[in-house]
Amino acid sequence: MKRVVITGMGVVSPIGGNVGEQTAAFDAGHHGIIRMPEWAAYKGLRSLIAAPAELKNEKAIPRQNRRSMGRMSIFAAQAAMEALLDARCEAGSLGGGRVGCVAGSTTASAITLNNVFETMLPEHDFSQLQSMQFFQCLSHTVAMNLAQYLGLQGVLLSTNAACASGLQAIGTAFDLIRSGRQDAVFCGGAEELHPTVTGSFDMLMAASMGYNERPDVASRPFDAARDGLVCGEGAGILFLEERERALSRGATVYAEILGFHTCSGGSHISESNREGIARCMSDALEDAQCAPSDVEYVSAHATATLQGDGEEVAAIRSVLGEQVPVSSLKGNLGHTLGASGAIELIATVAGLRRGRLYPTRNLENVAEECKGIRHVTAIEPTEARCFMKNSFAFGGINASLVCRM
Amino acid sequence: MTKEEIVSITNNVFAESFEIEPERLVPEANIFLDLGLDSLDTVDLVVAIQKKFAVQIRDDERVRTIRTLADVYAFIAAIQKEKGA
Repeated sequence: MKRVVITGMGVVSPIGGNVGEQTAAFDAGHHGIIRMPEWAAYKGLRSLIAAPAELKNEKAIPRQNRRSMGRMSIFAAQAAMEALLDARCEAGSLGGGRVGCVAGSTTASAITLNNVFETMLPEHDFSQLQSMQFFQCLSHTVAMNLAQYLGLQGVLLSTNAACASGLQAIGTAFDLIRSGRQDAVFCGGAEELHPTVTGSFDMLMAASMGYNERPDVASRPFDAARDGLVCGEGAGILFLEERERALSRGATVYAEILGFHTCSGGSHISESNREGIARCMSDALEDAQCAPSDVEYVSAHATATLQGDGEEVAAIRSVLGEQVPVSSLKGNLGHTLGASGAIELIATVAGLRRGRLYPTRNLENVAEECKGIRHVTAIEPTEARCFMKNSFAFGGINASLVCRM
Repeated sequence: MTKEEIVSITNNVFAESFEIEPERLVPEANIFLDLGLDSLDTVDLVVAIQKKFAVQIRDDERVRTIRTLADVYAFIAAIQKEKGA
């Protein structure tokens, strides 16, 4: 098997329009969650907060590429361009079928999907629909837009696994490179806010409803007073590369991906399951040829739902014990859903390069069911090199990635 | 609707929907070769014209013969005339 390294990173998130901005925001403890007053127009929507990213400079993307991009694809394109520049790839090195693209999102552009139905349904009239709306409504809209924008000719895959989409994309890219099928892959996830997205979690009693007047403390993973997730948006794209290729061109290696696993919990369509999570984490460790004691930090999925956080804590405790530092970055970012795995992986790598573990923001009183692991509650200096990133999703999907700086 | 109004509204469609600079919007400009539209853009051009001029042209065979901006103006003028007739 070939070895796989991260040599480029790009991000658009609720707390920064690029990796540098996001890292500075984590250093400062900033968050990106605000009240969404216009959402009050939606009957039955109780969660009126969100973590928006800023859409800017989109016209830097040529119209011929941009016209088929919804908001999430624009975020992804901007993140991919940052990753490309960060990786300092040589011009012309992306063609020839050896560089691929794997990316995903929960759904296609939620804004465009809504616009299409609002246009069509009143009169059941197709004649007013625009051609580009179709391409923004395809489930693989992020991956295909990225590949066309970057002129990639390699493997093109879309991982649409809700909140695990981004990490599944990275794991799939890892598999493609280590097996020798690709030399390099752009990979990650993207997401965009819309009342229908938050409304889905609201309907399922998974969205925060009690902090509409205090958005800054609304996203509080592992905390006793947590009441659900806060939806966010953005994109995280990484450039993964076969290690020898990266070293031979003098690329900066941020981290090596050691192992990955994704699996079904096999027990419930929405509720996280500690046995399934533990199995996923254990199999990722085995894939990485790491012992539990090798893991020095866990970037948890923990979204601040009542049920999910406790299940993840139980799994971490059973697989890695009680001493490994753990935090969830969703206190700052909200839950960027399909983008979260990639955005949080990038934040973790950027933090570890600065010798820092970022804490779980708003974790004040650890809930009983979340005790028994070592929570990071303030920025900690660290020399940690080996870490695990978890992502889980509705549908019983688990994903765990093991990396070493 | 005057010819000047048709030209103005049509040019606005090209400027807004296809981001084409006003100085390039001359009657003889070929919408494909000079202005860079492709088959997908023509779908959206039809939708935009329908909306701006309150007409239904999606199934009109004459759409397929359009090559220049002047063709677009003339087509809309003809549709308007038929509509008013």
